[in-house]
Amino acid sequence: MSDLAVEVKNLTKVFALGLKKEYVVAVDNLSFEVKAGEVYGLIGPNGSGKSTTMKVVLGLMAPSKGEARVFGLDSGDIRARNEIGFLPENPYFYKHLSGAETLRFYGKLCGMRGRELENRVTELLKLVDLEGAANRRLGGYSKGMLQRIGLAQSLVQNPRLVILDEPTAGVDPIGSRQIRDLILRLRDEGYTVFLCSHLLEQVQEVCDRVGILFQGRMRREGRLEELIAIEEQTALTLEGASPELLARVHELVAAEPGAKIVSEGHPRTSLEHLFIQIAERSREAKK
Amino acid sequence: MNAETTVPKSSPRGAARPVPLFSPGRVATIASGTVTQLVRMKTFYFLLAFALVVVAVGNFNLPATPAKELSMIKKVSFGTMDLFAWLFAIVATALLLPRDQEDRTLYTILSKPVRRIEYLLGKLCGVLVVVGISLVIMYGICAVMIGARESLFVSAEIEAMTSSGRYSPEEIEEQVGLIRQQGLRPELGIAVGASFLKAAVVAGMTIFLSTFASSSLFTIIVSILLFLIGHAHTMASSFWLHSSDNSMIVQMLVKVVKILIPDFQLYSFSEGIVQGEAVVYALVGQMGLVTLGYLVVFLLLSLLVFVDKEF
Repeated sequence: MSDLAVEVKNLTKVFALGLKKEYVVAVDNLSFEVKAGEVYGLIGPNGSGKSTTMKVVLGLMAPSKGEARVFGLDSGDIRARNEIGFLPENPYFYKHLSGAETLRFYGKLCGMRGRELENRVTELLKLVDLEGAANRRLGGYSKGMLQRIGLAQSLVQNPRLVILDEPTAGVDPIGSRQIRDLILRLRDEGYTVFLCSHLLEQVQEVCDRVGILFQGRMRREGRLEELIAIEEQTALTLEGASPELLARVHELVAAEPGAKIVSEGHPRTSLEHLFIQIAERSREAKK
Repeated sequence: MNAETTVPKSSPRGAARPVPLFSPGRVATIASGTVTQLVRMKTFYFLLAFALVVVAVGNFNLPATPAKELSMIKKVSFGTMDLFAWLFAIVATALLLPRDQEDRTLYTILSKPVRRIEYLLGKLCGVLVVVGISLVIMYGICAVMIGARESLFVSAEIEAMTSSGRYSPEEIEEQVGLIRQQGLRPELGIAVGASFLKAAVVAGMTIFLSTFASSSLFTIIVSILLFLIGHAHTMASSFWLHSSDNSMIVQMLVKVVKILIPDFQLYSFSEGIVQGEAVVYALVGQMGLVTLGYLVVFLLLSLLVFVDKEF
């Protein structure tokens, strides 16, 4: 069994434009690996080749050159699809089906039947907090609910690799936080998560390793802390420090040749944290 | 999202699980999904229009003998049934594939272990089930109408002939027999079967077109066009191929059209059955085989286009 969940080697994808013999190189000699059990984020602006790479890994597209493998299997091999759970950007499901029917439909496509399938549907609806909307048709679901049923659908056959395309696009901060928590939980339970996003803050929160794609090429890749650390700077956050202590810190720094204080001030919470705090307090007060 | 719940696992994860070469279960899942989709799209509403046509035809008082009137009612009802069946097969099939592609539902389906032939076959079977159910319902509506008119005509005829006192019981029996021959007979089920076979070929042809068509509208228009050509090309080809003053290119073109487009005129044997002619069961069996052949060819052609299609 391969300990690499995804292995992309020298992948190139070229699209022909109409009949004019014009070509667009969407992905250019791309190579990267996603290890089993890690959360890997592929980030880049729109049109950088993220979705094309994802589609090749999913077997929806064939590479023009190079190869993509999933747990050692060629991505075109149908067995590879049994190992993958996929949540597309803006999930596209049959609007005439209810949440439970959707999970049953995808479960059956994965060969699940009977009690095993029914138990799985119940568990997943509970996991994504949609038990109350299980029998409502997807046409009446909100964007966040669709994303959650999409996530449940991606886990239906208990895959080893979960591929998420912009998992929090269009979802409100609370829904976004819930999806982030679930991704972390998936990692803790040994799932491999491969996600594409251009929401950098969220990628930073959940990913172990990151690849930065631009114009179809990998520009930087590595462990997140290594990529974003500023080696020559150190951050120090103090609590309950008196003005005298701060003055002594200033003196000590001034006495050290080559050292200087770059910035100083009160750390701020993010707007997202503030929003979630307010929402949670309101919910508590309502109870 | 439920914070306390751990991610449930249905079975231990390990090496790649085998995927059968062909799974009837997956075909059945896609087919039943297609049936649900078509039913919830309220496609059966067209049956109301059909019922209205049949009721209207059944209540015309034509200046003809009862047998002729019954024959006319049958002809119009079964013609309408046939029209609704093939038109429904085209529209329903044309809506499915391009719609899945436009809505990108296809992404989530094909990213599961589903072979493309299973997807195509599932869609086709789903449409055929709905066409079959529709035909049974339409036949039911026709049967009620024809049966009611038949018994009305028979009792009126017996009463008229008996009260005149000029006819012997044998003559009355003969006259009633003539009416019954144009009434509700079990053989009419074969005519319904022929409509189903024709609609199946139409659906197969439409599914092939929709594998490379860019929209549902294009698929519907081209399918109707090909259906009409398929009805006329036997006549047209016999004219062109036997005409002495046409070029080699025209002759080749006619032959190519003859090969590529199904001959829908073959299914017109059902018109004779509706008119009370005897059923040639060997011909019915032959038509079943021809239909199966067309379906296999169209599915293979569809697969040829669809198997490497990128989404």
